[in-house]
Amino acid sequence: MPTFVYMTRCDGCGQCVDICPSDIMHIDRTYRRAYNIEPNFCWECYSCVKACPQHAIDVRGYADFAPLGHKVRVLREEEEGMIYWKIKYRDGRVKEFSFPIRTTPWGSIKSPADYETPDTQALDSPMLAHEPTALHVDTLPTLSSSNNK
Amino acid sequence: MFTSNPFADLIVFLPPYFMQVYIILMILAVAAGTLFDMLHKKSVIFFARQWRKSQTAATKQLSGMDNAFLLIRTLLKEVATSGEFCNPLRRLSHLLMFYGFVIYLVTTIVMVFAYPASAIWPVLWNIGALMVLVGGYWFFFFIRVDVAKEGHSPFRLVRADLFIVSLLASVTFALLWEIVQAAGGPTATRIIFSIYLLFTTLLFAGVPWSKFAHMFYKPAAAFQRRVEEANGSSDLPTPSVRHEGR
Amino acid sequence: MSLFTSRKTHFVDSDILIIGGGFGGCGATYEARYWARNAKIVLVEKANIERSGAVAHGLSAINCYMGMQWDENQPEDHVRYARNDLLGLVREDLGYDIARHVDASVHKFEEWGLPIMKNKDTGRYLREGRWQIMIHGESYKPIIAEAARKAATEVYNRIMVTHLLMDKKDPNKVAGAVGFSVRSGDFYVFRAKAVIVAAGGASHIYKARSIGEGVGRTWYAPWSSASAYGLLIPAGVKMTQMENKIVLARFKDGYGPVGAWFLLLKSYATNAYGEKYEEARFDELKALVGEYAEKQPVPTCLRNHAMLEEIKAGKGPIYMHTQEVLDTREKEEIGWEDFLDMTIGQAVVWASQNIDPREKPSELITSEPYVMGSHATCSGAWASGPEDIAPADYQWGYNRMMTVDGLFGAGDTIGGSAHKFSSGSFTEGRIAGKSAVKYVRDKSTDTPQIDDMQIKELEATIFKPMENYEVGRNEIVAGTVSPSYISPLQGLQRLEKIMDEYVGGISTYYVTNEPMLNRGLELLTMLKEDLDHLGAEDLHQLQRAWELHHRVWTAESVTRHTLYRQETRWPGYYYRGDYPKLDDTEWHVFTASQYDPQTGEWEMSKLPVHHIID
Repeated sequence: MPTFVYMTRCDGCGQCVDICPSDIMHIDRTYRRAYNIEPNFCWECYSCVKACPQHAIDVRGYADFAPLGHKVRVLREEEEGMIYWKIKYRDGRVKEFSFPIRTTPWGSIKSPADYETPDTQALDSPMLAHEPTALHVDTLPTLSSSNNK
Repeated sequence: MFTSNPFADLIVFLPPYFMQVYIILMILAVAAGTLFDMLHKKSVIFFARQWRKSQTAATKQLSGMDNAFLLIRTLLKEVATSGEFCNPLRRLSHLLMFYGFVIYLVTTIVMVFAYPASAIWPVLWNIGALMVLVGGYWFFFFIRVDVAKEGHSPFRLVRADLFIVSLLASVTFALLWEIVQAAGGPTATRIIFSIYLLFTTLLFAGVPWSKFAHMFYKPAAAFQRRVEEANGSSDLPTPSVRHEGR
Repeated sequence: MSLFTSRKTHFVDSDILIIGGGFGGCGATYEARYWARNAKIVLVEKANIERSGAVAHGLSAINCYMGMQWDENQPEDHVRYARNDLLGLVREDLGYDIARHVDASVHKFEEWGLPIMKNKDTGRYLREGRWQIMIHGESYKPIIAEAARKAATEVYNRIMVTHLLMDKKDPNKVAGAVGFSVRSGDFYVFRAKAVIVAAGGASHIYKARSIGEGVGRTWYAPWSSASAYGLLIPAGVKMTQMENKIVLARFKDGYGPVGAWFLLLKSYATNAYGEKYEEARFDELKALVGEYAEKQPVPTCLRNHAMLEEIKAGKGPIYMHTQEVLDTREKEEIGWEDFLDMTIGQAVVWASQNIDPREKPSELITSEPYVMGSHATCSGAWASGPEDIAPADYQWGYNRMMTVDGLFGAGDTIGGSAHKFSSGSFTEGRIAGKSAVKYVRDKSTDTPQIDDMQIKELEATIFKPMENYEVGRNEIVAGTVSPSYISPLQGLQRLEKIMDEYVGGISTYYVTNEPMLNRGLELLTMLKEDLDHLGAEDLHQLQRAWELHHRVWTAESVTRHTLYRQETRWPGYYYRGDYPKLDDTEWHVFTASQYDPQTGEWEMSKLPVHHIID
């Protein structure tokens, strides 16, 4: 469902230009605000919709198959770790949902460089970082050599 | 130089009523331009329709007091502090341009209509102009989204740049004129003053085609947004109600 | 380029260069840093790693998790499953390797903050099906991207890599890559001791079911532009199973996922008359593929076949009876979240067509074909396997290294390792990352050399489409029709039509044959020639132009492989009208191809399928 940008809400900050995986959110030449330059390459991933600080981006289902009058709006509360959806049907029904998006604070992932340096021999073993502990089993499975044809 | 009214020295080649008439014409141009823009683009009809839709979808009726309060909040936050901008640098540059322009405009009108004796007026005029130029050139070269995010050269000009270019040109030539006039070259003064007037006319007369009209649309839109949050007609998920007005 | 801008060239040197910032690339970046604390690790992505790749919107399930800690599955079980699903043809060594490590990746995801749903009774991860667990995965990609950012020396966003660079001293050794900035238009030359390609598989090489805006709603991301293959093939890398196109049966138009509906919510599909058709067609399937039809679960392609036959028999549309299973608010939320976490467009379809899944069933359909390596399919590069497991002819030293020295791969890029999905691709990235570190350690005195002349030529080649447009534009007044250049979209539409009509697309119900395939190759040859005349109006179009190049290379490979395999191995994915049955005698093999960049010739061959698991 391709995206479109509300004229009254967009202030041309460019967050959508930064985030779009398809490189299709760009800046209009007359208003210096955002718009979707290639709806036929829009996957409706909602990355731009979620990133827009002004909630200026919305989606209108692909004209090929989505009748008018619907809305699927979202609020992604990053700090809170939640996402909120409000779905309005063509016939007026409304459904709202909310789901968690993350259980830890943003930026809190421990860098792999902050772990104890592995010893040089470990580089030649098949075990990957944090194994076998991270597997939650005692050893990394392998096949006995008789299996190798 | 910066403490005397530059408009007073125009008497050498222009009568005092010239600038007064000019300013009135520019005010009329802005009014006419905005009206033309709203009618021609049918944006008035659109906004009226949106307003009616919002009223119909409202789950809560707002009183006159409620609306007044929302209006005040809009004026205080979005208008007075450029509160819409999330990027602090952009917000700062806009505040410089906005307040700089207001100071520069008000002092121009006072100096042209009243020719006051006090040096405070030209000093403020210069400060206002400098604020516009600092905020404006900063915006033009570094903050403009097509430059900052899309990688375009700052010298790639499109229609959206009509406002900022004419604003910067107008104020730059205003200061240049003041300096050249004080230095005493009569021909140079006339030439530079003409260019100043040219860009100033472009700035005000260009309202139907430039982003200048945003000074009316943006606060109106911000107010409408607050009303929608408050009266329940917003289509955003419910938690937004407590987050709006950040 | 205007008067005031001039294109700069940036040289970026690194120990390990990772091309593609999706799940494979992020896994590689993380793991490489763990093993090489001081190495320069550079990650390059044509978009923004925060939301790039196939997991941009998020996912509602992790489809590859063993659950070894609870004795739910062992890695060999997964190998058997993937093998059955692909009718015998998978790299069991690669599959086992991923399956034995993937649980650790998933546990790290949870530690990093990915909310995984729990089974209220057992406390374990909530299973969708035997291999799948349910997640609240809207931010799955941003979480993984954070891990990659912490690990990388530098992340270059908005740089499209267009070509790999080979070592001047050794044409079968990688030395880096070249590309351009989609924002500034600058030329980038990446020089590295090891390169890991973890780019996207191929969407948009076949004509899609929708034709207007709807073309954007492909099942696989539209930005999966086949760079996983398009970077490798012209460099002479040996590829495998490129004929293994995948077709998905999904909710119609929105292509929303069906896994949670079938497996967790226990919904079912019928034809338009309410008849369950799959079991009824069992004998047909047996006639086509023999014993493979008896495998449980029923292989993906065979389920597609049953649906297609039902539709062709005039019993469509096919419906998923969602209304039978949403009897609680909790189930309704699961059903909606399934879409909202990963295919919001399907929720839009429901809202726009007034379909409440509690009240009405939804149509299912088979998609247009895709080519990729991380799902119920395994196209990609032929890679060396794990040293402790792989048979002798499946390994040549470094795990996940391709047939070009120093060139590693993960995710869609690697062929033969099916059913890895997001967690498996990340895991394969980790495997490649560690391997690349080992390789760099072993070759420490060896610095690859790049050929300056070649760099200059590549720069001209890369930016040529912009020149074609600027110059050619002078010929016409306006518009998109020019006799001397075509736009990337025009080229893409021609490609999609060729593949659709000749290489088993939807318009032929996925059927092709030798005469059709040969005709397809003729037309592809002319399209390839026309690629020299692509006209790109701006940098965005230049990106589209190179995406098309990668897609066309891939399409040619797909066509040649499809021609080579003289059987119908996966009915429901595609059919050889001239060889309609499965033929284990001749074709219980991997197909392989290698393009020779010097001669322009393609060499096709068979590679053995070793069953190391019983």
